[in-house]
Amino acid sequence: MASAADAEATCCGPGYASPDDAMTAPAEKLLYTVALYTGTGIQKPDYLATVDADPESSTYSKVIHRLEMPGIGDELHHTGWNACSSCHDDGSMSRNYLLLPGVRSNNIYVVDTATDPKAPSLHTIIDGDEIKEKTNLSGPHTVHCLGSEIIISFLGDANGEAPGGYLHVNEDFEIVGRWENSMGDIPYGYDFWYQPRHNVMISSEWAAPNTFMPGFDLEEVGHLKYGRRLHVWDFEKREPIQTMYLGEDGLLPLEVKFHHNPDSTHGFCCAALSSNVIHFWQDDEGGEWKWEKTVDVENELHPEWPIPLPGVMSALLVSMDDKYLYVNNWLHGDMRQYDITDPHNPVLTGQVWIGGLLGKAPEVNGVEVAGGPQMFQLSLDGKRLYVTTSLFSTWDNQFYPEIRTKGGVMVMIDCDVENGGMSINEDFIVDFGQEPNGPSRCHETRYPGGDCTSDIWL
Amino acid sequence: MAQLSDTWTITIANQGSGRFSVDAQRPLLDTLEEHGVDLPYGCRYGGCITCAAKLTAGAVDQAEQVALNNRQIANGYVVLCVARPTSDCTLEVGVDSHDKLYRNPFLDPLEPHELKPDIATPIGES
Repeated sequence: MASAADAEATCCGPGYASPDDAMTAPAEKLLYTVALYTGTGIQKPDYLATVDADPESSTYSKVIHRLEMPGIGDELHHTGWNACSSCHDDGSMSRNYLLLPGVRSNNIYVVDTATDPKAPSLHTIIDGDEIKEKTNLSGPHTVHCLGSEIIISFLGDANGEAPGGYLHVNEDFEIVGRWENSMGDIPYGYDFWYQPRHNVMISSEWAAPNTFMPGFDLEEVGHLKYGRRLHVWDFEKREPIQTMYLGEDGLLPLEVKFHHNPDSTHGFCCAALSSNVIHFWQDDEGGEWKWEKTVDVENELHPEWPIPLPGVMSALLVSMDDKYLYVNNWLHGDMRQYDITDPHNPVLTGQVWIGGLLGKAPEVNGVEVAGGPQMFQLSLDGKRLYVTTSLFSTWDNQFYPEIRTKGGVMVMIDCDVENGGMSINEDFIVDFGQEPNGPSRCHETRYPGGDCTSDIWL
Repeated sequence: MAQLSDTWTITIANQGSGRFSVDAQRPLLDTLEEHGVDLPYGCRYGGCITCAAKLTAGAVDQAEQVALNNRQIANGYVVLCVARPTSDCTLEVGVDSHDKLYRNPFLDPLEPHELKPDIATPIGES
């Protein structure tokens, strides 16, 4: 485990000099994933699980530590580091802390992963009520570091109404205030990613916390309670400058990722309900940003459904060499790998099935799967993809009610980076149905040394 | 004869059951927690249904809640973090009471009058 931290210590600041440099880092030996009890009926706090990912270890593929949050009901979801490769040149910075926002509680837990990487500890809490009071924000989601500081997207105001905004936190985890100077006419927020060399940030739209937290009603999409736009920001001026209206092709545009190459303007978003990949880019510096639909997953007939079943492409990830795009279809049950050497023309190169409602893979490595592929994290060398199955407690309860007794699972997929292709690794599975306090649900995964969704290069 | 009261008696019908006298002016989540009832919760402002319970007798004021749709309300669900009793009540609490709270939205769509109150079509106008 010391490997990634040592690699950072021998250089200046955290992370890596470039995406190419990151790809040569030692393989991950520990994974951190949040695990939920919120909404499960088990009156225990959500926790950060440490999973042993070292094939040489006797506890490989097992949860080896659990850091419980102080209270129940947070709904831990996405996480982010205090620092990444964006401050690689700053020797005073280090990647010591993982920030864990609670979507429902509004608390941000700052976890020390450096003192004992196998057994992280709670460093401090940014109090949810204080965030509401000082910034009028609730419903935290994406955490990115901003040079030496941190920005976190929030989906709602203090009353859970859209559009929310961005919390700015300093390196001592004190609230600075709102990051953005204006939300313009943005109706909803969700994920964001930025590409500093082009002075651009792209943000996406889910819905107001009061809309998505209680669960999903299809009728609310028709009532425009869910998003269908991407927003282009002037990153330095901290204000939106262009809207890309995606319409029916872009219902519920969720995760946003740029190429890792800091010179590139190409990026991608997954529209969850439309189950499409949206590719965006800029041809000329200072020009309009353009978008196109490059992948369209068709709805599938289901014997018991009156209407065809959408894939629900809820997440997306780009390999560190910008060659492969990974997407999920949470309801269909498949993970896909596309070769995006030409970002305008993705080529499907791999597909595996994990759970899902189509019945293609009800069991993986001897474990019954409730849910489908949902969040995933790729090793820096691109060869190991870790996939978890829970989306959000209330949505899980609607689509996969059996997850209450079975819990979530973490699966590892071996990825062929030379010729393309994916296969489920038969030696790895973490069954969160067997946790000591009862079945829990695993969500976003991160590695101590940084991963394929954590780092940005200036 | 109906009258204002400072306290009401809340009966929990599941999870070992119990009867508790609670302050009429305060949310049921707060007062029941003080009596030692172990209840789930999330946002604590009426926005997220994690604390939803089924009201099988009595009445509450939950005007602050913004999470339940009209079908959930018709099925008796109340959001304990903002609901205040206006009579003696009987409740089923926790996920054991959530049999009708969650539905697959594709298999069982809502009628226009069953949406959340701010967008529901009043019955007779759909």
